[in-house]
Amino acid sequence: MSETVVHGEAIEWSEEEEEDSDDSEEEYTSPSQPLSSANFDKDRHLVYLQMMYELLPYHYQSQEINRLTLAHFIICGLHFLGATDRVDKDEVANWVLSFQAFPSNRASLKKGEFYGFYGSRSSQFPIDENGDLTHNNSHLASTYCALAILKVTGHDLATIDSESLLLSMKNLQQDDGSFMPIHTGGETDLRFVYCAAAISEMLGDWSGMDKEKAKNYILNCQSYDGGFGLIPGSESHGGGTYCAIASLRLMGFIGVDLLSNDSSSSILDPSLLLNWSLQRQASDGGFQGRTNKQSDTCYAFWIGAVLKLIGGDAFIDKVALRQFLLSCQSKYGGFSKFPGALPDLYHSYYGYTAFSLLEEPELSPLCPELGLPLLTSLGICKGGGGNHQKS
Amino acid sequence: MDSVATVPLSERPEWSDVVPLTQDDGPNPVVPIAYKEDFRETMDYFRAIYNADERSPRALRLTEEALRLNSGNYTVWHFRRLVLEELEHDLYEEMNFIESIAEDNSKNYQLWHHRRWVADKLGPEVAGKELDFTRRVLSLDAKHYHAWSHRQWALQALGGWENELDYCHELLEADVFNNSAWNQRYYVITRSPFLGGLEAMRESEVSYTVKAILANPGNESSWRYLKALYKDGTKSWISDPSVSSVCLKVLSRTDCFHGFALSTLLDLLCDGLRPTNEHRDSVKALAGEEPETNLANLVCTVLCRVDPIRANYWAWRKSKITVAI
Repeated sequence: MSETVVHGEAIEWSEEEEEDSDDSEEEYTSPSQPLSSANFDKDRHLVYLQMMYELLPYHYQSQEINRLTLAHFIICGLHFLGATDRVDKDEVANWVLSFQAFPSNRASLKKGEFYGFYGSRSSQFPIDENGDLTHNNSHLASTYCALAILKVTGHDLATIDSESLLLSMKNLQQDDGSFMPIHTGGETDLRFVYCAAAISEMLGDWSGMDKEKAKNYILNCQSYDGGFGLIPGSESHGGGTYCAIASLRLMGFIGVDLLSNDSSSSILDPSLLLNWSLQRQASDGGFQGRTNKQSDTCYAFWIGAVLKLIGGDAFIDKVALRQFLLSCQSKYGGFSKFPGALPDLYHSYYGYTAFSLLEEPELSPLCPELGLPLLTSLGICKGGGGNHQKS
Repeated sequence: MDSVATVPLSERPEWSDVVPLTQDDGPNPVVPIAYKEDFRETMDYFRAIYNADERSPRALRLTEEALRLNSGNYTVWHFRRLVLEELEHDLYEEMNFIESIAEDNSKNYQLWHHRRWVADKLGPEVAGKELDFTRRVLSLDAKHYHAWSHRQWALQALGGWENELDYCHELLEADVFNNSAWNQRYYVITRSPFLGGLEAMRESEVSYTVKAILANPGNESSWRYLKALYKDGTKSWISDPSVSSVCLKVLSRTDCFHGFALSTLLDLLCDGLRPTNEHRDSVKALAGEEPETNLANLVCTVLCRVDPIRANYWAWRKSKITVAI
């Protein structure tokens, strides 16, 4: 992702923009990385994340617009490592809340703008003399990341003005069911359908999206080989497939029993999806994001979580996957995209989620559909998703 | 960028009337970034111009400087579009600008969104330009996801389908493992207004794909494509002799990977293919001493051996077999 979001690819958004990082260049790649260790090295990861928490090196300035996403990787990453005490929860919550955009009155909700969270301070401006926002740059991916941080740090989301957020989120949904990330215009694809679904789930209110339309858009993205592309017609992709399956799960259209059901009654082709997903595990043990591409740390999560969500994770060769991931573990803490490269936050976070999927004892369990630590006491993954909507 | 970029904005006479609008990071910033001075300064001037909504030629130049520092900043791109419209700027020139940004880093959604905005305004007359641009990007990275998405959009919105199948062929000649090119091939045969659709194309495409499979039996992409040619046509999928015969041809060879041929044969059997003695013999030859009587079961047993990373999956497939053959 981002694919520079995903990182490269998706993270632009974490999942999103940088997702494609799978293809993006990491500017700080070096072939001289020392050999990795034989175990998940929790202490080094803690050191790495804490350093990043204190000050992000200037390399990250080019991702400044996604600062909430970077914060999400660090803070939720620390939670995966069980180090919730390393951050000041109130300070973090207040900081995140300071990025929320509010309409000056209910009438302005009708103007087509989205009132969520800004991605960064640089896109935030003082309100004018009438109390109006002159520049509202709320973004769906930043809103997902903001809510994720708040949820994980134990902030009560009931205190958020979710009504204006969800009501205005409707403005982003297109006729074909997809979502734009921001009301000033942007590419529409599965990443933002997923963001909208995850936001609705975290707020426990589905009134901000038309689920039926979103479902139809997702199904149009299933490719001939069983995976999902980011838009209809595009090549099957690990990040797109995750967004599709996690969204369908969150919306309540598919359950854990997807594979055991009679596939003719299913809304998608589960056996082809299973086959495609398992085929992404390459001979080096890692997962590739697309057919005939190189293995990459982050797809251990994107595809691994898909397999978990459809009940096919028992078929992963976990020993081989673990070996691959360890070869991407940096001596300095964190994970890189490929063996031998330097670590970055995006691949580190999805390295932790992948190890969590592998049930590494030192890590918090995973909520696969939200990509967050499983914290039932905080209401993350309380009921498997989609069963407690208001609307 | 020319040399003027190396002079700080605060020392350029052109900007002397502008007060930079610094970002307010508050007293306790979380995950602060160690911005470099030129980054901080450029963004502060950008914020001032953006906040004042100054849609001027110098604002346009400033967006360029800001985009060279963070080409994923959607706010800067958005403002650039407002300025372009206000100034009625030459959009062909804008295309050149986009291409120069893409030379540094073309893996970014915002750049491609902007490109689409420009191309959409210029309309069908730039269809060829979009195909050329994406062709150039794909010549450097033939699996570039953004470039493929843009190309598909351009074909649908602006046209230019005429030579697209040839282009797919050209890329597959260069690298038959390029799954993006196979995907594009499927896109073309199912959506091109000139080709008549999947059914009309099936025979020639099957023959093309069979050749590709026989040249590289371990290429997942071509096997997937072969199956896709029978999407929504299970009957012809199992009755077309081309499919089971390519499986048999691959299985009779000793110098190649058999996994995809076996997996395809398994699908055929589960979908209702009545196996011949030739099918049985070719699988038995690989199975050695296995005492299995049901052919589909036997295929799964062999798959567990030739594709060990997915052995649990093939064992599960075996447990699900309901056909008695």
